[in-house]
Amino acid sequence: MSDVTNDLPQATEHRLEELEKGLFTSDLSVNEFLLVKEAGFHPVGFVMGSSIYHTGIQTRKWNQSQELTKLTEAMYNARELAMTRMEEEAAELGADGVVGVRLDVNYYEWGKDAAEFIAVGTAVKAEDGVSRRNAKGKPFTSDLSGQDFWTLAQTGYQPQGLVMGTCVYHIAHRGLGQTLGTTGQNVELPNFTQALYEARELAMTRMQDEANELGASGIVGVRLEEKSHQWGSHTIEFLALGTAVTKTSDEVTLTKPVTIISLDN
Amino acid sequence: MSLRPETPIDIAADVRRAATGQSMTTSGTSMMSDLSIDEELNLHAIGWEPVELVSGLSVFSTPAGMWNWGQGEITGATEAHGLAFKNALARIHQEAANAGGHGVVGVHIERTVHSSHIEVSLLGTAVRPVGSARIDMNHVFVSDLSARDFALLMVAGWEPLGLANGASFVYAPRRSVGAVFQQQTQNVELTNFTAAMYSARESAMQRMQESALALGGTGVVEVKVVEGPMRFAAHAIGFASWGTVVRLSASSHQLVRPTAVVSLNDATVTFEAATLA
Repeated sequence: MSDVTNDLPQATEHRLEELEKGLFTSDLSVNEFLLVKEAGFHPVGFVMGSSIYHTGIQTRKWNQSQELTKLTEAMYNARELAMTRMEEEAAELGADGVVGVRLDVNYYEWGKDAAEFIAVGTAVKAEDGVSRRNAKGKPFTSDLSGQDFWTLAQTGYQPQGLVMGTCVYHIAHRGLGQTLGTTGQNVELPNFTQALYEARELAMTRMQDEANELGASGIVGVRLEEKSHQWGSHTIEFLALGTAVTKTSDEVTLTKPVTIISLDN
Repeated sequence: MSLRPETPIDIAADVRRAATGQSMTTSGTSMMSDLSIDEELNLHAIGWEPVELVSGLSVFSTPAGMWNWGQGEITGATEAHGLAFKNALARIHQEAANAGGHGVVGVHIERTVHSSHIEVSLLGTAVRPVGSARIDMNHVFVSDLSARDFALLMVAGWEPLGLANGASFVYAPRRSVGAVFQQQTQNVELTNFTAAMYSARESAMQRMQESALALGGTGVVEVKVVEGPMRFAAHAIGFASWGTVVRLSASSHQLVRPTAVVSLNDATVTFEAATLA
């Protein structure tokens, strides 16, 4: 399929071969399935990539706000592994893209620093035979649902890739003096504000860099997640996720929405 | 989108009959279903009717003490899971056929894995084209799609064929003390765990695909996956997947052009008894 050698296990290759014979699997709902067909794509297979990853340790100073580069690296690396494996499966199926991608992190009882990073989605292929792969020649990925995917297609946009930026940041504790000094007062806590700002900016900037690399004209459906995972309250991962899109046609075929009052509750 | 039947339906009469639980065609016998009124109307719009609430259940025991130590696949658990699913499916097929159904929609699937047994329970509504005759249980389809989704699928020219499922349980490897110590401060992928996860998943998905092909399907929609270690066995990984097998029944896929709508509904306000105090 592609010239890059992939590291997918044998069993996966075998399963994918079976899919190439004409059976498709997908986690799309019936609505999404019909909308993906409507947009001119056919699902080819349910694809998944996962990696169980051990994150290292980084010492942090109690009273210093800083990015924890080692942890950031781990979060990036593990997600990349999962995403790349998913893309490889899609490429193996000859797909043009993957829709409805979900990225999850699961913690199991194998040790508190070991987590499973998982990416799943449905690989789709254009029915007109024209390749819709992205600027890097890989299948596009997108966390848009079937509904969003269809709507986007009606306005002349095409997803290029799921882009993300992450930053694990340690936010300094306040010293006893500072705490006492602000007791009973209405004041902004500049060190907290600044640390949160900086971490968010770093995550968002990294996401934008990924979109620029794909030559995208915008990012839709951006979500910003803040999670402490297993690191305690002052260490937070800021994760920005969105779908990079480019405009491929000026034609807008989306009909004017009809306003309705639904009788369901 | 709208589902337009060939002949106009008398909605008021349908609602009345659905609400009073009267069967539409078979006079004298009562009809039971867990479908909402909307779903019933959807079914009627494509010329189908609910017949009876049907279920299938199977509890399969697993060999004691096999969960925690070993290598590779836990064949006992995998087999028990497969058989529990198979038996439950056979029973719901039988019940649906007895009730005169041609298929079962909206099947709720409950599967629980315990250390000593695996339980699979299926509950759904048997349906048939209005007034049609009984068919053999082997030709009944079972699907976890809702009645609404079933109607939509039929309008698009596809038909459900049955439930495909596959599961696999494997032992998760343990890391040696040396490795745990050595990896303590490192960012590394735990390749043996990843490999175990992959093997469970591949076997399960493979089995699901095989059961879909055996049913003569060309696709599986709404695939659900459940994965991870069991509560009672941290070093065993289970992976189960299932979905509805479909096949194109019309000569080609019928496009169902959606209409964009803006709902004018407010957010639903639920009634709370506590606020009355």
